[in-house]
Amino acid sequence: MGHFHHMGMSMGMSSGDDNSTMAPSHHHPTSSASHSHDHMMMMMPMTFYFGFKNVELLFSGLVINTAGEMAGAFVAVFLLAMFYEGLKIAREGLLRKSQVSIRYNSMPVPGPNGTILMETHKTVGQQMLSFPHLLQTVLHIIQVVISYFLMLIFMTYNGYLCIAVAAGAGMGYFLFSWKKAVVVDITEHCH
Amino acid sequence: MHFIFSDEVVLLFDFWSVHSPAGMALSVLVILLLAVLYEGIKVGKARLLHQALMSLSISTSQQLIEETDQNSSSSDPTPVSRTHLRWFLCHFGQSLLHVAQVVIGYFVMLAVMSYNTWIFFGVVLGSGVGYYLAYPLLSMT
Repeated sequence: MGHFHHMGMSMGMSSGDDNSTMAPSHHHPTSSASHSHDHMMMMMPMTFYFGFKNVELLFSGLVINTAGEMAGAFVAVFLLAMFYEGLKIAREGLLRKSQVSIRYNSMPVPGPNGTILMETHKTVGQQMLSFPHLLQTVLHIIQVVISYFLMLIFMTYNGYLCIAVAAGAGMGYFLFSWKKAVVVDITEHCH
Repeated sequence: MHFIFSDEVVLLFDFWSVHSPAGMALSVLVILLLAVLYEGIKVGKARLLHQALMSLSISTSQQLIEETDQNSSSSDPTPVSRTHLRWFLCHFGQSLLHVAQVVIGYFVMLAVMSYNTWIFFGVVLGSGVGYYLAYPLLSMT
């Protein structure tokens, strides 16, 4: 019983995700798994493995079959993870820069005795339609998409690709947060 | 797919296969500790950065005070480079901690992906306990 259960889980696993935007792909439902135990195919590996044969990567046309293709995929995933870390740091910097700007709007207001007073309004933060906020939104969408891609890449359970994700994240954090930390040190010295 | 209550699961690695309630309880405990560790690393990174900034800014200001007090024309480059080296080592340590956080985060995600309800409870409980234990330490300095 545990055999069927395990294969049923592995067959239907890829369509199950708490992410509702992921469309269920071509995998069989668990009910049909019970009569096909002669040819047991593990389409979704559920444990870590090292290999480069027939590795599907994110998209249907992207299949890795040779060591050279795996090396290329390793580099691409490494750069993607580095880009993700850089995007996070860049968004933080942009947010800090756009929120520092305090706008003063001065409006003439009629005062008593016919004099004209200047009333000053101070606005801090971002308006909805301002360019920094729209840019932050676009970058946020890109960040969400890339983070889900990295999760799906890690979900292939391929050891090489998982190492590429982790190493890229570490290298990206090291390179991009270095500058950010130095900048934070200088600008926030007096606190 | 849906969550199931089961005493059989294979988690993350080929050798980690659970068949019995005792093994399941142990696996839930391990996953719980993993989630606690994840929350702890998050807080630890922030605290490490804060401590490094405090100590390095104090040391650089002390060096500036010493240099102005000495009033010497011979500039001593070694204190500056020592500060840079300390900052480099601290930042390298931070990066290693970040890699550990990324890997543990993905491991916890893959454990939840096993769709075993006991494991999921372990992750949720571990995140709660980890947050409860670690986040007061964030504002303690």
